[in-house]
Amino acid sequence: MDVDPSKILIRYNVQKEKAQTPEELAAEQYPKTEPAKSVYRAIFEGEEDDVVEGLKKAIDAGANAIKLIDDMLMPGMKVVTDLYDEGIIFLPNVMMSADAMLAGIEFCKEKSGSAPTPKGKVVCHVAEGDVHDIGKTIVAALLRAAGYEVVDLGRDVPVDEVVAAVKAEKPMMITGTALMTTTMYAFKEINDRLLEAGIKVPFQCGGGAVNQDFVETYELGVYGEEAAHAPQMADMILAGKGLEQLKDNFHMH
Amino acid sequence: MTVKRYTEMAYTKADDMLFGNAKYPVKTKLGLEVGAGYVTAEVNYAPRPDTGQSKEKLVSEYRRLTTDIMARAVQIGFPSISLETEHVQQMTNNPTWGGEIAHVQKTIIEEYNEEYGIKCALRHTPGDIREERDYLALIGPKYDLLMESFEAVADGGADFLSIETMGGKEVLDYAILRNDMPGLIYSIGCLGSIDMTMIWQDIAKIAQKKGVIPAGDTDCSQANTAMFIAGGLLDKNLAHTLAIIARTISAARTLCGYEAGAKGPGKDCGYENTIVKSIAGVPIAQEGKSATCAHADVMGNLTMQCCDLWSNESVEYHGEFGGTSVQCWAQTLSMDAALMNVALNTGNGKLLRDMMMLSDRYRDPQGYILAYDNAWKVGNAIAKNGNDLYLRAKAAAAETVNLLNASKAEGKLQMSRFETNALADAEKAINALTDETDKFMSDMLAKYKSEIAVFKPEENYKF
Repeated sequence: MDVDPSKILIRYNVQKEKAQTPEELAAEQYPKTEPAKSVYRAIFEGEEDDVVEGLKKAIDAGANAIKLIDDMLMPGMKVVTDLYDEGIIFLPNVMMSADAMLAGIEFCKEKSGSAPTPKGKVVCHVAEGDVHDIGKTIVAALLRAAGYEVVDLGRDVPVDEVVAAVKAEKPMMITGTALMTTTMYAFKEINDRLLEAGIKVPFQCGGGAVNQDFVETYELGVYGEEAAHAPQMADMILAGKGLEQLKDNFHMH
Repeated sequence: MTVKRYTEMAYTKADDMLFGNAKYPVKTKLGLEVGAGYVTAEVNYAPRPDTGQSKEKLVSEYRRLTTDIMARAVQIGFPSISLETEHVQQMTNNPTWGGEIAHVQKTIIEEYNEEYGIKCALRHTPGDIREERDYLALIGPKYDLLMESFEAVADGGADFLSIETMGGKEVLDYAILRNDMPGLIYSIGCLGSIDMTMIWQDIAKIAQKKGVIPAGDTDCSQANTAMFIAGGLLDKNLAHTLAIIARTISAARTLCGYEAGAKGPGKDCGYENTIVKSIAGVPIAQEGKSATCAHADVMGNLTMQCCDLWSNESVEYHGEFGGTSVQCWAQTLSMDAALMNVALNTGNGKLLRDMMMLSDRYRDPQGYILAYDNAWKVGNAIAKNGNDLYLRAKAAAAETVNLLNASKAEGKLQMSRFETNALADAEKAINALTDETDKFMSDMLAKYKSEIAVFKPEENYKF
């Protein structure tokens, strides 16, 4: 017995695929001049050594090392994250590109002896009692790829520690991930403790068992259904949007 | 317990595999036989978040939900039911909590068994607590505490002992986000297998001492991570061709439990279980369309093809229009089981199996490979290399690539360019792998020790 699958299902991913390859689409976004073009391509391909090689050439030609972060590395990475947001490339490509870009940033910092100004600071953590951290790893990588400074508190982070970090770091946003229903309860505690301290910072929560209904039960919570929502949310905060506007945008259910 | 690697298939041909039937059924003290000619629902549940605050609240929660499930099962006339309690961490970290909850649940189940004759089982699945905040801590005090938990739930009345072990996850989490094929083979096929071989010998010893059944494991922490990251058809987080390679490698790993003394039924979320069943002949639990309360995947009907217990994976205990959530899902699962049992009793079992399999076979590369005929072929590749953990994991990956490449001629499984490219990259990586196990192990050890700060091979795998 067999079946004609076209009668019972549709592979929408095959149907929707663009005619152009991701490589071709990325190349359309590269600058015309060298070594910028090579740096962009090396970021897209996740080739750390080639990124550094291109940066060396730029610095040798007189470029300011720290300025190269904003002029070459961040826009090169944006080509990658835009293609990911459009559903054209896969997450592992972004991860490898982010690794290459971060290697480039480290190189520029070494060369200049100074640090770049990040777009903003985000504190990331996994809920107390929960050690499942791959979601947080993805969130942190996407935020860094978008130019944000990430204070990564790791996994199984006690409520006290999150609150203390928020007080010390004064982030523009907090992220919390949890896989289990019993551990996500810590998010509510963090919310209450921050409000007691008079801190009103957007707290993006997501992960396995976390849902919008639960996140809506505490004031600072904004539900992040996808990891990719983290940089989008940070961008909105940077653009001056408040808690209610974030909820309007990301609470889709 | 001695470890005996599988080098032959339990089933000589794929067509002999069928739901409700296993080569080696198991039987509980309350009369439930799993794999002995019928399918039974296995209901899975999670307590409401705020009940984790104290033992009393948790015990009360499990008392209520167990009573609810049993009451619904007899109200609708189901002949058998299995309950699975996956521990929240408090229950494993405090073995007396898990033990008391098992006792409370078993007492209720026994009362229903005595009054109505309903055949029952209780599975307890302690959480794999072998972690420190920053590192896996697979060996040491946490291991001892975990074994105490198994002893406590067995004393409390659990019929089946299970766990979802996490060996290798520290490397998998790194490798899966980098399309790293050798990393998948190393983390799942080697590290996961080493850990499972160790822990299942001890779980089997406890089960033997307590007169209960060492059931089985699942590669939830790795292959399901890959499956969930891969997501739906339009998600772009991981190529589904890579997710299915992670899955077939995980069959070589999950098999280790049975090699070290487990008897089945395998855990519900082990989507690798059809492959495992083809090799070991053990009964298996599976989840699919009736687990949409817990997650979405692309194999809702197909996974019923060879199941012996049919599960909903997990649902939070709360009210629904039709009763409590556990009652609704107990009924849904049991109705699915009733349909499968009708098919078995009217000689239509294989017809229904093939209909369920075909509904998802071409939906996705994952369904294509887990369809029982292809699953059997992957199992055969594993068994042929059964004595070597690395080579059998590599063989599972290679056979998966071969089957997907061969599907192109038939043209029924459509793959996107992304999936095809990822498959081609995986094939290249697999072809470049050494056939020398020692060399692979030492190369990977050096690579990941330098690249992954949280990888502690000496402490966790006794290297």
